[in-house]
Amino acid sequence: MSSIPGATARSLSARAPLRWPLHYRLRIQLWGVGFVLPTVLFFLVFKYGPMLWAMGLSFTSYDMMKTPRFVGVENYASLSRDPIFIQALLNTLVYIAGSTVFITAVGLGLALAINNRGRGRRLCLAGMFLTNIMPIVAVCLVWRFLFHPHGLINQILSPLGVGRIDWLTDSATAMPAIIGVTVWRFAPYFMVVFLAGLLAIPREYYEAAAIDGAGVLRRFRSITLPLLMPVTFFVVVVAALLSARIFLMPFLITGGGPGGATRVLSMLIYETGFSYMKMGRAAAISVVLFAIAMVFTIIQMRLFARNEEDAAA
Amino acid sequence: MNTSPASDDAMLARPDTGMTRREVIGRLAALGAGAAVAAAPRRVAAQPAKAPMKLTFWTWENPQQRPWLHKRITQYTEKHPNIKVDFQWFTFTDLGKKVSVGYATGTAPDGFTTGDWLMPTWLARNLIAPLDVKQLGYPSVDAFRKDHADAFIAGAIQDGKVYGYPIWFYGFCNYLNTKQFKEVGLDPERDQPQTYAQLGEVAKRLTIKQGNKFARQGFKFAMHAPQWTMIQFNPIVVQSGGQWFDKAGKCTINNEAGVRAMTVRASIARQYGAEDPADSIATAPLPQMDWLKERCAMFSCHPIPPVAIKSQNPAMEAEGYYRPVQLPGVTADKRYSTCYGFNFVINANAPKDKQEVLHDMYRFVMSDLVDCWQATAPFTLARKSGWTDDPRVKSFPHVQEIIRAKDQGVFFPRTPVWNELADAMHRAVQKVMLNNADIKVALDEAAAEVDRATAEFKKS
Repeated sequence: MSSIPGATARSLSARAPLRWPLHYRLRIQLWGVGFVLPTVLFFLVFKYGPMLWAMGLSFTSYDMMKTPRFVGVENYASLSRDPIFIQALLNTLVYIAGSTVFITAVGLGLALAINNRGRGRRLCLAGMFLTNIMPIVAVCLVWRFLFHPHGLINQILSPLGVGRIDWLTDSATAMPAIIGVTVWRFAPYFMVVFLAGLLAIPREYYEAAAIDGAGVLRRFRSITLPLLMPVTFFVVVVAALLSARIFLMPFLITGGGPGGATRVLSMLIYETGFSYMKMGRAAAISVVLFAIAMVFTIIQMRLFARNEEDAAA
Repeated sequence: MNTSPASDDAMLARPDTGMTRREVIGRLAALGAGAAVAAAPRRVAAQPAKAPMKLTFWTWENPQQRPWLHKRITQYTEKHPNIKVDFQWFTFTDLGKKVSVGYATGTAPDGFTTGDWLMPTWLARNLIAPLDVKQLGYPSVDAFRKDHADAFIAGAIQDGKVYGYPIWFYGFCNYLNTKQFKEVGLDPERDQPQTYAQLGEVAKRLTIKQGNKFARQGFKFAMHAPQWTMIQFNPIVVQSGGQWFDKAGKCTINNEAGVRAMTVRASIARQYGAEDPADSIATAPLPQMDWLKERCAMFSCHPIPPVAIKSQNPAMEAEGYYRPVQLPGVTADKRYSTCYGFNFVINANAPKDKQEVLHDMYRFVMSDLVDCWQATAPFTLARKSGWTDDPRVKSFPHVQEIIRAKDQGVFFPRTPVWNELADAMHRAVQKVMLNNADIKVALDEAAAEVDRATAEFKKS
């Protein structure tokens, strides 16, 4: 050990850079990476890994028992010729379109109705939101009984002169019935989103329009709708995404029937994979469903990007 | 090492070899040890290992059958404290799917029960192990074959090897509400329908309509699940001269006989107006609910335990105003139903020692068939011996009719694409019955679906 004080100080200052050899900014970045790493790993292992594996599986023939066998695009080619798949695809698109349109319209209508200072407003809001927190299995079973040929809905319609409607067993009414249940469950959720959008519109705009003689409809068309457009886009995209993945409602209410009239892609994936043990084919169907969902996701991402740009401007 | 008694005697008889008594005893001890080693495998086969062992076993849920199975397996583990059984059960329709996923993920149970219609699915993929009938108490495969119902055994044996140990096996009966019969002036004995045409006529008399609402349906086909669609449609197909597949494996349900069968199936609603296919409160756990609630006068069903009747309709059970009779036929001489049952099977991937213990456990479970009958009656058993002669069985209400349905029933088509077939037929029946679709077109679509599935299976 050196007995010269200056030499000790030099050696300490020489050692210090060795303890922290990285640049400050890099160190901060590494800390950041360290914090997000568990989440990234979680998503890689439990989300993106299985997704990639499923995509790979869609090019194989795999019955869950033997090793997957590479078959190229055969699964996709056979899907394009399969009337069952085409019917399920069309059902899914009809379901997405129907649910999205009505969820948006009803959600907006409910938000407009509740966006006043009337008494019991909060109670109504809470009551409507209850549909979202009820267990889905119970909801579906109750709706099955409501839609029974002699159930409550037909009994309510009967005095109006409406004859018996076989809601769940007629291929013309089964899908609208499922869409109706979806709207009943999810519209109040999106009502809250719309409500947030409505509350953000300055009241001065309405006051100024009223002074200029604009009626309720005109104010709605010229102020509410344009200013709610970003929220509406958001609701449309999220509702469409939600609808694309629907499984339990048709599965529990109609079982995909009658004659496949309410069988959507997610049900077909389940049947193909777990009943028929054709995992490769099921993976191919799930890739198609993923592509549909991806379209809406891209729209949503662009929408957000545009909103951020607008906000920045 | 030569261990024959003759060579031992010869060795001991030669005093001139100069062996001491200690050497002779030592050699005898060695011989004894050798004999013990040689005999060891036979002992393992005869009784389960003493080392701790944990088995997994899956079955389906049924209010009578599952608890009895659980009780017997618990009794077995009490007898063999070193053996633990992880006993799990799932809904009837989910069990097959759960097992499939279990195989795929390496978590399939060591042993499980399976519907015998799924045997081709497991066998085509070599997923279940052959059983040693000697360990199940039979001297030969022939003896095993002779002791079980013919229709059942055909699905449990492949290439001379036994793969399933049958448990319950039953046919369907036409359950009549005798009170409702008498109300409309019908005698349940004399007027029980023998043909589907008679069924239509009788059902029509029993039907009560209030406007467009059926207060009571004369007869009801189940519409809630593909499995039931197949059970009820299968005998009509066979009676109409049809078959599900030709020799080349092509689905032939859309031929003339198939169309005739579907016409018969649809006639109760379409021709006689005695059934409302859209109106049912029956669900998967209780398909017979409409009949139990007296919303339909006749229902084609598996044996219904009196406790199940009592739970839904105590008056019907107490007053006994019900009666199972043979299902009608397309002609009166063809009154039979589908019969089906359940097997114990062993996972082909289970270690050998576990397979041996499972043999022993299955044999134990099925060693007291009268106890099984008492707990689960009137679910009939696949085995011919050991229960039908017991007075407790003989005195059970309507037991002979129920046993007859089992004995003369016809089996399901045996195909590895069973699920696809059942789903396709279920859709076809829905299209015909609920959407008034053309029968030929609906069957053409179903046959095409099944053929596509078969082609894909062959390719894979």
